[in-house]
Amino acid sequence: MSRRYAIASESSVIVYFGTSIDPVISQEVQKAYHALKAKAQESFYEIIPSYASLMVSYDVMRFSFDAVCEIIENSIHQAESIAVSEPKIITIPVYYGREVGLDLELLAQEKNLSAEEIIALHVNEVYTVYAIGFAPGFAYLGEIDARLATSRLASPRKAVPKGSVSIADRQTAVYPTQSPGGWKVLGRTPTAMFDASYDGLSLLHVGDHVRYQSISKEEFLSLGGEL
Amino acid sequence: MNGFIVENGGLQSSIQDAGRRGLSDIGLTQSGAMDEMAFGYANFLVGNAFNTPAIEIAMGGASFKARSEMCIAICGANMQPTCNGHSIALWQTHLLRRGDVIAFDFANEGQFAYIAVAGGFQTPFAYGSYSTSLKEGLGGLEGRKLKTGDLLHTLGNRCPMDRRKLERKFIPKYPDSITVRLVKGYQEAMFDTKAQETFFNSTYTFKGEGDRMGYRLSGEKVVPSSTGILSEPICYGAVQVPSHGEPIVLLKERQTIGGYPKMGSIIAVDCFKLAQLKAGGKVKFKEVSLKEAQRATRAFYIFFKEQEA
Repeated sequence: MSRRYAIASESSVIVYFGTSIDPVISQEVQKAYHALKAKAQESFYEIIPSYASLMVSYDVMRFSFDAVCEIIENSIHQAESIAVSEPKIITIPVYYGREVGLDLELLAQEKNLSAEEIIALHVNEVYTVYAIGFAPGFAYLGEIDARLATSRLASPRKAVPKGSVSIADRQTAVYPTQSPGGWKVLGRTPTAMFDASYDGLSLLHVGDHVRYQSISKEEFLSLGGEL
Repeated sequence: MNGFIVENGGLQSSIQDAGRRGLSDIGLTQSGAMDEMAFGYANFLVGNAFNTPAIEIAMGGASFKARSEMCIAICGANMQPTCNGHSIALWQTHLLRRGDVIAFDFANEGQFAYIAVAGGFQTPFAYGSYSTSLKEGLGGLEGRKLKTGDLLHTLGNRCPMDRRKLERKFIPKYPDSITVRLVKGYQEAMFDTKAQETFFNSTYTFKGEGDRMGYRLSGEKVVPSSTGILSEPICYGAVQVPSHGEPIVLLKERQTIGGYPKMGSIIAVDCFKLAQLKAGGKVKFKEVSLKEAQRATRAFYIFFKEQEA
């Protein structure tokens, strides 16, 4: 697979593995990311993966651009000879009730499906974490069933409640905290996405696999969910 | 208690250090002092290590009361600081006594001022930094800007010497018109020759549309060959050009990934200058080689590393 190294700034290198959202390309990024995290985390300021690219920010007092490219390239080569470990599968419980699934009704009308059918399609898939951004712990998961693919809200909400499980395009994500946003909300999870007590702070990391599990209102409340 | 009590937080004052590192992969912004040069000099003057938390005052209007004897330095934007109503100078140390009130007017030069105290502020450490990330509501004091009644503890250290003053030649100026150096990169290929000529030959205006996240500049429109790209990581100083064609420079509280085409990135030391530009200020971009850019950045950090050695 061909990789393209580019300057991002005087202290950052970006590596392009491709130009599309593709599970194969994403896996290449994930392998490089994990190899660098394991080997060079202390050496670099940031190692940030996204869908098809990876950026490394470095200390210009210690490294040249070429040296950083070489470290990345070596890490990737070493990672290739190592068998890919099974991804972690994380189950996120979701209450899909009408009072928290703010756009369930809207989506049902738009897709000509019942709310139950939408929920079934949403929980049926195993998703991959392609990228994290927008907010701490905000993980972009893909891809949702094509029958659910939808546009963002015409006018974004000023405050999407914390834990809102949402979709946009072919992606799905949980809002880790209350924040503005335009994704369509299907339900709510009582699970924290970002917490200082978590090892690694974020529940999800790039490359993890995720399953949503439908829970009742009682379960949601007993797990600490708030309406 | 040793330290300050916040009498008035002003428009936006917060605790900052050099920023949060190594957590952008889970979506945490870097944050940290908008102008590391003024921040660095303030700490240098009071004898602190470079990366010691200081108060960052944005635009002005803040005041603080000393609860104990302490040694401070104020660097950065000129907010005509006073101590008990009497003018005090920037770029030097001051010994405060218990009950002294230092107050800041609105900046007539620059945007951000820093107060460093000998020994540093003893504020909470979160996720590897003392910095406040206002957008995310984390770090610093409960993730927010300072407000009346906040207590900022200090160790009550003495000044490194009776009075320490920054040599005049080191004192930065904050002119209304600046040239910032840019290293081309990212999607530079998406901007054709004509677009690049427009970009490097134009003078842009900062109309005050910006915050700690980034500054939008107004002026000649530069149109990339495509309006969007697949979301990718964003570094400090990145110049992104959304479909409106006007550049946005991403600064300390930038988002970690994004999908707009980028011309390249402004070098760190010039991002500090840009941060200090007042509304109405003019910006010109100048292309520099990676080598030249790295030399400038190294020169900046070497100065502070040498002080600590």
